[in-house]
Amino acid sequence: MRKPWYAYLYVKSPIIKIILGILSAMVAVAVLLFVGLVDGPRMQAQTANWDGRAIEKGAETYANNCASCHGLDGKGIPGPALNSRYFFTQRLNDIGFTGSLYDYVELTVAAGRPSKANSQWGVMMATWGAEYGGPLRADEVANVAAYVMNWEADALQQTAETDPWIPFQDTPSRGSPYEGAEQAAAAPAEPRAPSELFVSMACSGCHILDQPQTDTNRGLVGPNFGNLLENAAQRVEGQSAAEYIHNSIVNTNAYIVDGYMPNIMPQDFAQRMSEEEINALVEWLLDPDRQP
Amino acid sequence: MAVQPEVQKKGFLKTALDVADDTFTRITAGISAGEMRRMLRGEPPGRPNPRLKPHSEAFLLHIKPTYYHESVTRFTHTFRLGLLSTYLFVVETITGIFLMIWYAPSPDRAYSDMIRLLSNVPFGQFMRDVHRLGAELMVAVVTLHMVRTYLTGSYKAPRQFTWFTGVILLVITLFLSFSGYLLPWDQLAFWAVTIGTSMAEAVPPAIVGETVNLLARGAPDIGANGLLRFYLLHVFFLPILLILFFFVHYYKVVHFGISLPASEEEVGQDTANKVPADRRVYFLPDVFIDEAVFLLGFTTVMVIVVAFFFQAPLESIANPQSTPLHTVAPWYFYWLQGMLKIADKTIAGVILPGVLLVLLIAIPYLDPNPSRRAKDRRIAIISGVVAGVVMIILSWMGTPQYAVQGAPSVEIVQELMPEEGAGLVREIGYAHLPLGVYDTRQVLHSDDHEFAEVLEEFQTSIRRFEEADPDFNNAYGILNISQNQPSLKRLRWEIHWLSADGAEETFLRDFYLHENSLYWEQYGLRDFSFLRPAAQGGE
Repeated sequence: MRKPWYAYLYVKSPIIKIILGILSAMVAVAVLLFVGLVDGPRMQAQTANWDGRAIEKGAETYANNCASCHGLDGKGIPGPALNSRYFFTQRLNDIGFTGSLYDYVELTVAAGRPSKANSQWGVMMATWGAEYGGPLRADEVANVAAYVMNWEADALQQTAETDPWIPFQDTPSRGSPYEGAEQAAAAPAEPRAPSELFVSMACSGCHILDQPQTDTNRGLVGPNFGNLLENAAQRVEGQSAAEYIHNSIVNTNAYIVDGYMPNIMPQDFAQRMSEEEINALVEWLLDPDRQP
Repeated sequence: MAVQPEVQKKGFLKTALDVADDTFTRITAGISAGEMRRMLRGEPPGRPNPRLKPHSEAFLLHIKPTYYHESVTRFTHTFRLGLLSTYLFVVETITGIFLMIWYAPSPDRAYSDMIRLLSNVPFGQFMRDVHRLGAELMVAVVTLHMVRTYLTGSYKAPRQFTWFTGVILLVITLFLSFSGYLLPWDQLAFWAVTIGTSMAEAVPPAIVGETVNLLARGAPDIGANGLLRFYLLHVFFLPILLILFFFVHYYKVVHFGISLPASEEEVGQDTANKVPADRRVYFLPDVFIDEAVFLLGFTTVMVIVVAFFFQAPLESIANPQSTPLHTVAPWYFYWLQGMLKIADKTIAGVILPGVLLVLLIAIPYLDPNPSRRAKDRRIAIISGVVAGVVMIILSWMGTPQYAVQGAPSVEIVQELMPEEGAGLVREIGYAHLPLGVYDTRQVLHSDDHEFAEVLEEFQTSIRRFEEADPDFNNAYGILNISQNQPSLKRLRWEIHWLSADGAEETFLRDFYLHENSLYWEQYGLRDFSFLRPAAQGGE
């Protein structure tokens, strides 16, 4: 058999072949290690990338569908302003929406906004989402909401004079994001009474105050509070009843009593109540002579 | 095994060594430690050959031949393309199973699942890129495998049926690749598959074509049902079909042996099964080591390519309402797209590919030439080469370069900032696009040399189209880059021109670009700019 010209490339020794194989595997492993090492920053960059692209897509949809009322710069006329400090700081509070501003925008774009017959706005906010009969798919609605949210950095720079917001006549503002807000921040709000908090924070929906928690008498959704003072003291070694209750309000999934589900109790009490209010609430809950 | 009497008889050390050797032999399915050592040293086997044992003991080895003819083990005879196709199928299966974990075949979720895979799954992008590269390589390797078989005349008797199963495997590979195309549910996927299935509609008579199209899409248009069907085709039906045909194909390969070089074997002669003892190369250890090292090396190359030079594309979410400009099929279907541009859907999309397939299958029966030597097969080899050249020309015609020029104004913007994908402007990115108004009638310069390149390209392409198109005169462009939002720039492309009859025309297109957006090309050095500390600020 005649040898071809490239015969010198042939490796005959099995040992050398195996060594070459091992070396190549080591190179592959090294490259994989490199990929693994940069994967964290890569995922971050990708997350930012797709957020950015959503905003780009939202910008196109906004320019085509929303800008005629809300303005290309988002400052409104004839519709309400979105690129507005009031909108980013005060709006949710005034309409009493407990979700995030993004949710509010997405929901309003998708489902439209209920409006009075004699509204101050010439045009009603339509239902844009396809699921409510509008022209935009859910991903387009989400992109528009992402685009609107991207005004935040600009809007927060605004002052009372430059904020283009025009108050809604049917939802009077409970405060102003400007002077009023600063005053409110300077003078702390009056702490709310514990008995009032127990109802307004919806504790009373699941925890019954005048029933004791025993093996034969268990609260349906959350434990009963009739004998809270005795029970709470025994729950966690090294924690007094007050500490235990405080921790359970601030970090609601920290301790789950056997037989109950986690994630039922809202997890944002620490934001919705001041420390002072929480302490007062704990004290009130543990008070054997508490008055409703 | 009664250990105690053995220890008394042979001593502790000897017994322990025997137990160790026995265990080793069980793990290797019949190769003792001493035999393994002799193998690694390259020593010849004893007689009877103890290295045949694993072929009867181990399942995976029993389907491999125990020895090959020396002439076929040379790399340049087969280039190990068949082995490589099989290996790529295994790679696709493994990466595919991983990808299935993060994917739900529903239009509501598919695209956001892809984004989650890219941005939230460690090695998610890597696995997707390997899967995509593996799929493209598999199509290429299977095709090359067929070309090799054709050029060496290996399809001739007794291997006609092997060739037939091979052609079927090629078709299944193409369909596998194509069915996977739809799954990301982006514009690229949606429109490529819409066009692909619309060819099925052209199958005559109309009632058959419409039914086939309806069955494939699950509805008159591709939607939730179509996606589910393509998903099931891709992950279940086609792989099973491929595995079935693979085993038939491989059984035939082993049964008749790999064809020897033409100079050593006459057509119909059973040389493969009567290998002279002195020309035998045993699978263990020689061929096994060759194959294992080859696959390891190939894997390394693939890992390097994926890590640095290849990124699977992901365009905008599928939008049935808008066809992106210059929708293209995957490259291995360019030839089909090229044919569709010069003939109608029924002829180019159904009849010609069908005839081609039948011809391909019939080659062993059409070729009466009894010789496999290249010098006796001039007609076969020349027609093969001609067919290859025709395929390449058709493929070139399938690219957007050929015969789908839109209006000059649209093309100018598309070149710099395409509707989908990267393009020069998105590649240089947000940071290199200074705010301002740039008019091509003025002398444009920019301190940023990447942006200067964009302006230069803008001016040249307007001039080029002005010369080429009589309907495009006195043209000028204005690029207006403004800050639309924090971290978001708007690029307004304006092109003004006079038509042939002197009417003023304007084209206007707005694009937005976000600071954090990354756009990439499928082939080319990967962008590692995210490793640099984040650039501060912006305008």
